Amino acid sequence: MDTAIQIVVSGLTLGAMYAVSTIALSLVWGSLRMLNMAQGALLTAGGYAAYTAVVTLALPVWIGLPLAILVGAVIGALMYLLVVRYMLGRPGFETNVIIGTVGIALILENLVLRLYGAYPLQQPIGLPDGFQVGATWVPWQNVLILVVSILLMVVMSAFLERTRAGRAIRATAQHQRGAMLMGVPVGRVYIQVLMIGGALAAISGIMLSTITTLAPTMGYDPMLKAFIICVIAGLGNINGALFAAFALGLFEAAVQYFLGVRFGFPALLLLVIAALIWRPYGVFGRRKQARL
Amino acid sequence: MSGSDAQPLLTLRDVEAGYGGQRVLRGVGFDVPAGQVVTLIGPNGHGKTTLLYCISGLVRPTRGEIRLDGQSIVGLPVDRIVERGIVHIPQGDMIFPDMSVLDNLLMGAYLDAAAATREERLHRVLSLLPRLAERRAQTASTLSGGERRMLAIGRGLMAGGRILLIDEPSLGLAPIVIDQIYQVIADLKAEGRTILLVEENASRVVELADRVHLLDNGEIVWEGPAAELAENDELLETYLGG
Repeated sequence: MDTAIQIVVSGLTLGAMYAVSTIALSLVWGSLRMLNMAQGALLTAGGYAAYTAVVTLALPVWIGLPLAILVGAVIGALMYLLVVRYMLGRPGFETNVIIGTVGIALILENLVLRLYGAYPLQQPIGLPDGFQVGATWVPWQNVLILVVSILLMVVMSAFLERTRAGRAIRATAQHQRGAMLMGVPVGRVYIQVLMIGGALAAISGIMLSTITTLAPTMGYDPMLKAFIICVIAGLGNINGALFAAFALGLFEAAVQYFLGVRFGFPALLLLVIAALIWRPYGVFGRRKQARL
Repeated sequence: MSGSDAQPLLTLRDVEAGYGGQRVLRGVGFDVPAGQVVTLIGPNGHGKTTLLYCISGLVRPTRGEIRLDGQSIVGLPVDRIVERGIVHIPQGDMIFPDMSVLDNLLMGAYLDAAAATREERLHRVLSLLPRLAERRAQTASTLSGGERRMLAIGRGLMAGGRILLIDEPSLGLAPIVIDQIYQVIADLKAEGRTILLVEENASRVVELADRVHLLDNGEIVWEGPAAELAENDELLETYLGG
């Protein structure tokens, strides 16, 4: 019983963080057909921005966190304005933008390395304490991460389904020219999507840094996990991605518990191989890609 | 509708366009007066769709002038052109496949001007196209071909606008569905809307149109009142196979 509780607690926490960064990846892919390789660097930037706001600038957390999230959104907007815009609509976009965003990731990562150094830093933000369930200690921070993630997903889905701006994002993803003929300024939609993607990545990075540490390369692992989830769920399929994120979080936690921590990642890769063999369009995917 | 009577709502002069060195339009010009139904007919692959793309901004003309109410719209981004009141109901419908019928219609009223009176518009469109009311919760990709065309028209009507560009509304549909769609267009004409209608098949448009323009190989080769075309057997046979 205690084993099960422990696996559920750490699995849900992992799943929650994966889910947030997967949504970001999936939203950007679904709207622009852009695989954002800078996702991990955005995560890192968000974590460090929060640290800077709260430690270096000594701002209160309730100002520091929104500021850090804003940094993610601004980087997202700059990515569009300085790089993506010039590649969009040209032949080879899908490949070019992968290389372009790898470049952005390298710049961001090295900026962080230059400014903060290579040594891990302690993220001061976070809830102290926790509570006991049977023999398992559950930190409040994990509960907070779970709650924040679920809230974010509810808000995102309400935004996409029920608001005019959200509908415009879905319309642009499903038929770009059709959306243009409805008067949607698609350039502005793309900026919005990258800003939302950047903000979500930043939130994901802040959450991650509160239960691990800050390091210039901290974003890679969650980005890789987000890719894995997208492969398994079907890229661009947000609901499928959410389900897969939590399922994989639990799966990874279980494997880590029973077989050892080092087997968690290889086990996920085995799932990817299985998915690529039996369901190459994703477990929830259709041959013709499901869109937002 | 605003605009003086002396000046047509939409004017095209000497419009040229092409794709990668291939010239598709070779100097097309005509007027669409407010409140009239003007049609453009001609064989497929001779530039009719390209001409509509030039008007709504999806294709940029290489030469020539396009004016809405006297103001040039060439080179404006598509969303700005739409904002000025040009509503383009494209060939192939371009509906949003994974959205519900209702969400598709709401997208038609995306712009501020239309959004302000959205509910009222929705009510009117659904009474004009009752089939859409029955299907409002259904995902658009599951509609039949005729229903999709209805949805594309309904979505265009949600936008309001000052002039409707309708591209081959009868393409690929069964005769009975074509009748229904032309009934809707006739209703719109009766409401006094300005319409530029593109068709390959002349027989349908003759009774509806005020003026007809025949586009062949990127040029207007004949224009006149619809009644004259109906009498001109030679023309009908040469260009439209009788």
